[in-house]
Amino acid sequence: MEAASTAFRDSLLAGQAAVPAGSLTWVNRLRAAALERANALAVPTVRDEDWRFTDLSPLYRLAFRSADGPLLEAARLAPWIVPEASVRLVFVDGRFAPKLSALPASDGPLFAAPLAVGIERSTAIVEAQLGHLADFQRDLFVALNTAYLQDGATVVARAGSRIAEPVHVLFVSTQKDVAMHPRVLVAAEAGAEVTLVEDFVTLHDGAYCVNAVSEIVVAPNAFVHHVKLQRDSKAAFHVATSAVRIERDGRYRSNSIALGARISRQNLNVVQAGPGAQCHLDGLALIAGRQLADTHSFIDHALPHGTSRQLHKCVAGGGAHAVFNGRVLVRENAQRTDSGQESRNLLLSDKAHVDTKPQLEIFADDVKCSHGATVGQLEAEEVFYLRSRGLDDTAARNLLTYAFAADIVNRIPLPSLAAQLRATVLEQTGAKELAS
Amino acid sequence: MSAVLQNLIDQPYKHGFVTDIESDTVARGLSEDVIRLISHKKNEPDWLLEFRLQAYRHWLTMTEPAWPNVHYPKIDFQAISYYSAPKPRKKLASMDEVDPELLRTFEKLGVPMHEQAALAGVAVDVIFDSVSVTTTYKKKLADVGVIFCSFSEAVQEHPELVRKYLGTVVPAGDNFYAALNSAVFTDGSFCFIPKGVKCPMELSTYFRINTQESGQFERTLIVAEEGASVSYLEGCTAPQFDTNQLHAAVVELVALDRADIKYSTVQNWYAGDANGVGGIYNFVTKRGLCKGVNSRISWTQVETGSAITWKYPSCVLLGDNSVGEFYSVALTNHKQQADTGTKMVHIGKNTRSTIISKGISAGQSNNSYRGLVKIGPKAEGARNFSQCDSMLIGDRCGANTFPYIQVQNNTAKVEHEATTSKIGEDQLFYFASRGIGNEEAVSMIINGFVKDVFTQLPMEFAVEAGRLLGLKLEGSVG
Repeated sequence: MEAASTAFRDSLLAGQAAVPAGSLTWVNRLRAAALERANALAVPTVRDEDWRFTDLSPLYRLAFRSADGPLLEAARLAPWIVPEASVRLVFVDGRFAPKLSALPASDGPLFAAPLAVGIERSTAIVEAQLGHLADFQRDLFVALNTAYLQDGATVVARAGSRIAEPVHVLFVSTQKDVAMHPRVLVAAEAGAEVTLVEDFVTLHDGAYCVNAVSEIVVAPNAFVHHVKLQRDSKAAFHVATSAVRIERDGRYRSNSIALGARISRQNLNVVQAGPGAQCHLDGLALIAGRQLADTHSFIDHALPHGTSRQLHKCVAGGGAHAVFNGRVLVRENAQRTDSGQESRNLLLSDKAHVDTKPQLEIFADDVKCSHGATVGQLEAEEVFYLRSRGLDDTAARNLLTYAFAADIVNRIPLPSLAAQLRATVLEQTGAKELAS
Repeated sequence: MSAVLQNLIDQPYKHGFVTDIESDTVARGLSEDVIRLISHKKNEPDWLLEFRLQAYRHWLTMTEPAWPNVHYPKIDFQAISYYSAPKPRKKLASMDEVDPELLRTFEKLGVPMHEQAALAGVAVDVIFDSVSVTTTYKKKLADVGVIFCSFSEAVQEHPELVRKYLGTVVPAGDNFYAALNSAVFTDGSFCFIPKGVKCPMELSTYFRINTQESGQFERTLIVAEEGASVSYLEGCTAPQFDTNQLHAAVVELVALDRADIKYSTVQNWYAGDANGVGGIYNFVTKRGLCKGVNSRISWTQVETGSAITWKYPSCVLLGDNSVGEFYSVALTNHKQQADTGTKMVHIGKNTRSTIISKGISAGQSNNSYRGLVKIGPKAEGARNFSQCDSMLIGDRCGANTFPYIQVQNNTAKVEHEATTSKIGEDQLFYFASRGIGNEEAVSMIINGFVKDVFTQLPMEFAVEAGRLLGLKLEGSVG
């Protein structure tokens, strides 16, 4: 494995413009420490329990090059513009594109800026959080992202502010064989509310690699709604880690939709670091062909009175492979925890398969915890019901599949985005002709 | 409530005593020579020695599994004596010739052999430190063609059957402990139910670990031919030792067309004292193969003892329409650790499996359910239902659930549910308002919690299992 690790690191390095030394010593130190870890860690293989079902070896064979080419015209972004969001940060092949972005007024309750500006302007909060939530000691991809830390977004909602309009962070890939390491840092200060849309899209269908890390801190009584859309090309590799820390009575809500990528892996690590914290995680993976979508979530109930709810759905067609690992840990003093987790999986073809593992670890006695998992195909009775109403077999199946998936899409609070995604789901489930 | 729990947790081990019998023990350590010696002492055919040696050579290349959620000091496999047999006396003609010391041991355990065998209609194949001392009811079974004897006897008298089935369900190199067992197993039980025969009685063995520091490596093989059915009972208690004891048994079940095997276990080995000192390491590989169509294998286990339990009674559902079942109650307290569950591997069409697991953890114990439901690509219409519930008593214990679900066929339907709860103050208050004391209330709640599993036990065992849980709860008045 040593050879593969070295080759992969060398290839990434070759495809990366040199990271300029920053003006701040703590940033340089952080990068150096992460680089050291990245060099020490081996690439994960299926022999690692955490990667048992996800074989990344095709990624390790990719030869990366650095991004170049003409600037992107604004018109080409039109399909992905979310009208509700007036604040938008656009990254093209991992680089911040100021001309395509729209930033808020600098003295308002919302601070949203590219990472470099964020580091300079909001030093205290950024220094306290950046690199601290997403642990790079054991995760090679987080270590690489931190070592290449350069471009990304900083979003800070000032104490007590309620930010009505969502912040849209759009990552566009325009070229193949490029590796990008986007970084997002979101901080909702005490009592603040903010919605973040983290969106990965592509203009081509070649192979590239996204290694994203987002760190989100929810201060006491704050609320963060995090919508993550992965619409990468069907040949891309997408590895992402979201690390969330919720403090006393804070709330975090996540809608994570995975539609693209040949192999995608989403790590969602939520720590309830204060009493009374709440989190609500919804996920959907809608895949077909030879796609693999892997979601690993970890909810750490560290303090009392925490609540967590999770619903993860997978729809696998063709020869696709869906993986879900949902770990819930209730620590010794997290009494009165209330946790519920559901994993629902729909297999559309006889070649598709699912590996799911909801995992509960409980060390406190006064708790209410449950989880459930189901795997199956569409209910014959439901198909029959629709056929008795005059739909043919295919239409009935497509409609039911659409309804299964749309359940998660409908939880997204932005009507235009939800509508856009419903259209995609309609198309992917073949239920499009029913919509007219 | 706290006094109830304290009492519940502080129940001493009731079966702790050592019987003083001279043992014929092989020096500690493991090598090819030791294996040849064991095989020679047992007068085994060459193919069996070869089987052992191959397993041993494979074992040398393997490493101890690190994935279970249990923690213990590293085992020195060279510090274990791999063979111990009671001093051979002349062949026993009747029960009267059995060592009276041995009989007293069984009496203390509540197994009055003379009466029990006759009254309960149970043939007891008594295992005492790996060597079968006596077997009762053999004749009655022989009349219908059932072979039920010790494993070494089977090797001598039915070598063709043993050779045909040994290692077909759990291959010699299956896992670290199974390979170790295959290399050094000393004795165990063999049971063969011929075509079309319904075994006329429940078959049962009592396992007991006796010589200090002697590892126990039992091997059980049960074969049910076409249309045969059998219910097999296994129950254990062990003396109170200070030294950790390793127990690595292998149980293989084979069910041919339309055969039905029911395997029930009540396990109450020494779990160590309140500080977790001593106690038995129970690393067992149990697996059943539903080889034929419409066959059925059902595992029921009540696990209350052992310092560490590492055990996954599994079913490989190869035959079309075959059925696998797993019913389990695992109770841990003090510093006990249990990582137990099942594997249901669906290969044939329309195979069905049910998993009901109830974990109770108290004290500072750690209780994990780890299960695998795997639906192969050809298992059309396979069906699984799993339910694993945990109950926590006290705030220093842990309950974990690790269900692995792997589905490769879209016509399959798999359902898994898990809940965790505790005995609530409101429940106890409700009982109190009806004039029922705390001890009885806790006992009733726990009995209700495990009822789904206990109803699966054969009559004799249901009584014993109830008594076992009762023992743990005795004197727990708040």
